[in-house]
Amino acid sequence: MKTKAGIVVCAIVVAVLAALPWYGNSVMVQFGISVLLLATLAQGWNIIGGYTGYASFGNSVFYGLGAYGVAIAMVQLKLPFWVGMLLGLGLAVVFAALLGLAVLRLRGHYFAIATLGLAFIMTAIVSNLEIAGRNIGLVLPLLKSDLLFYELALALLVLATLTVFWLSRSRFGLGLIAIRENEEGAAVMGVNTTLYKVLAFMLSAAFSGLAGGIYAYYITFIDPVGVFDVALNVKMIIMAVFGGPGSVLGPVVGAFVLSTISEVLATKVTSFASMFFGVVIVIAVVFMPRGLADFAERFRRLRLRYFAENVRAHRL
Amino acid sequence: MSASPNILDVRNATKRFHGLVAVRDVSFHLGRGEILGLIGPNGAGKTTLVGMVNGTLAPTSGDILFDGASVRSLPAFRRAHLGIGRTFQVMKPFPGMSVLENASIGALFGAKGGERNLRKAREQARESLQFVGLGRRIGQRADALGGPDRKRLELAKALAMQPRLLLLDEVMAGLNHVEIEEVIEDIRKVRERGISILVIEHVMKAITSLADRTFVLHHGEKIVEGPTDEVLRDPRVVEAYLGKKR
Repeated sequence: MKTKAGIVVCAIVVAVLAALPWYGNSVMVQFGISVLLLATLAQGWNIIGGYTGYASFGNSVFYGLGAYGVAIAMVQLKLPFWVGMLLGLGLAVVFAALLGLAVLRLRGHYFAIATLGLAFIMTAIVSNLEIAGRNIGLVLPLLKSDLLFYELALALLVLATLTVFWLSRSRFGLGLIAIRENEEGAAVMGVNTTLYKVLAFMLSAAFSGLAGGIYAYYITFIDPVGVFDVALNVKMIIMAVFGGPGSVLGPVVGAFVLSTISEVLATKVTSFASMFFGVVIVIAVVFMPRGLADFAERFRRLRLRYFAENVRAHRL
Repeated sequence: MSASPNILDVRNATKRFHGLVAVRDVSFHLGRGEILGLIGPNGAGKTTLVGMVNGTLAPTSGDILFDGASVRSLPAFRRAHLGIGRTFQVMKPFPGMSVLENASIGALFGAKGGERNLRKAREQARESLQFVGLGRRIGQRADALGGPDRKRLELAKALAMQPRLLLLDEVMAGLNHVEIEEVIEDIRKVRERGISILVIEHVMKAITSLADRTFVLHHGEKIVEGPTDEVLRDPRVVEAYLGKKR
């Protein structure tokens, strides 16, 4: 019953968002595109980081590969956009599989560091590839239709969220959670941990790659430093963690809330914006380290004690 | 049924950790439907031996035969699919999941690759939780359980896998007398279902009342094997225990 009500609310929210281009102005639509893409990235990261428990810093690389897939297809091969999307998707997913087999045997910090190195490697490789325009980048054909990009980004976010919803109530998803909670325990009970981790990584990469593809066509110019950006990876992690990693809606809400705060701060107090943004994140991590999803679930019962308990639980 | 009369044959298993030999050239077998006891002082290599059987540790040399076929090169999850279930002395619950979800993992992924239908798996998990007396704690988070209930959960998780061979690594440690009686009764019932069991215990009462045969590990080597009452009277066993335990 609770789930049913939730689905109805979500459907209404999606309908309201989908109609935004008709009642909102162009600034809102452009802001919407960037938020929707960020939310998709946070949701994609949620699959490997939130559900499986592997903090990936490689997702910005999948994003970059998706972007370059579209750019190379359209600029160099003169193929249509959707073929580029498929190319980008393929690049991201295949790369995730190969990378996953190599680095998913590492745990904790080691996995994070190994994937972190990747963005730098990719920047260097792509900067020297003729077909990718070397370090100058590629200029894509201009399509002046924010409406299309907006609706595409929204559709992708809905798809990502539905995937995570399925994950949260499937055998596969439970296997991933078991890996996060106790990997050896999961293996002993019959979970093929290597396969599951690699599949989760590929799924995560798929959404990052597709988001990168939409971004490339929308922004019409990409270069290696711009799309293989570790800062973007940090952003998706912050949003997912702020919202609630390992929950269905947390990362999406996290992306919307943080983007809005950041946008409001940027227009109201301009020069101090990033400092205030940092303060918001620090406060959030100290008082609600498990994110908005956990806050929504337990605050009603605990009230202000919720914050006190979090501070106490995470004190050294 | 397969030709082998034994569900488990361990042949000359040796495990070396760098310089240290944890298990040296140990052979034993477990008949179908049998309960075999394994005792020995702390550090004797009991848990290491179990690890080699269920696949969390690779033997340095020797072979492990399950149902007559070597499983030596199979990873732990494949051995789980074949029907080898195990509990851990240092328990390995999924702390953030509910008690029911914990056991469901066993049902979803255990023997024969597990039950794919989520609802049926949950039913199977609920049944094994009720069996060990955790029926009322189904909705709680695993990390909210107290010590004895965690032990019960460990057993329920392994049972939900619907194993053919159950390796019990000190499931009674830390339980009081009443609780020990309950678990002994549970294990008896498990055997009645046709499941073969290897019991590692320091609780001698459990060994004497459950194990058909028992063998003793000391400094990584098997020193005595035979019917349980004879083994416990063996002077070498008494010496191994008293020498170490004092």
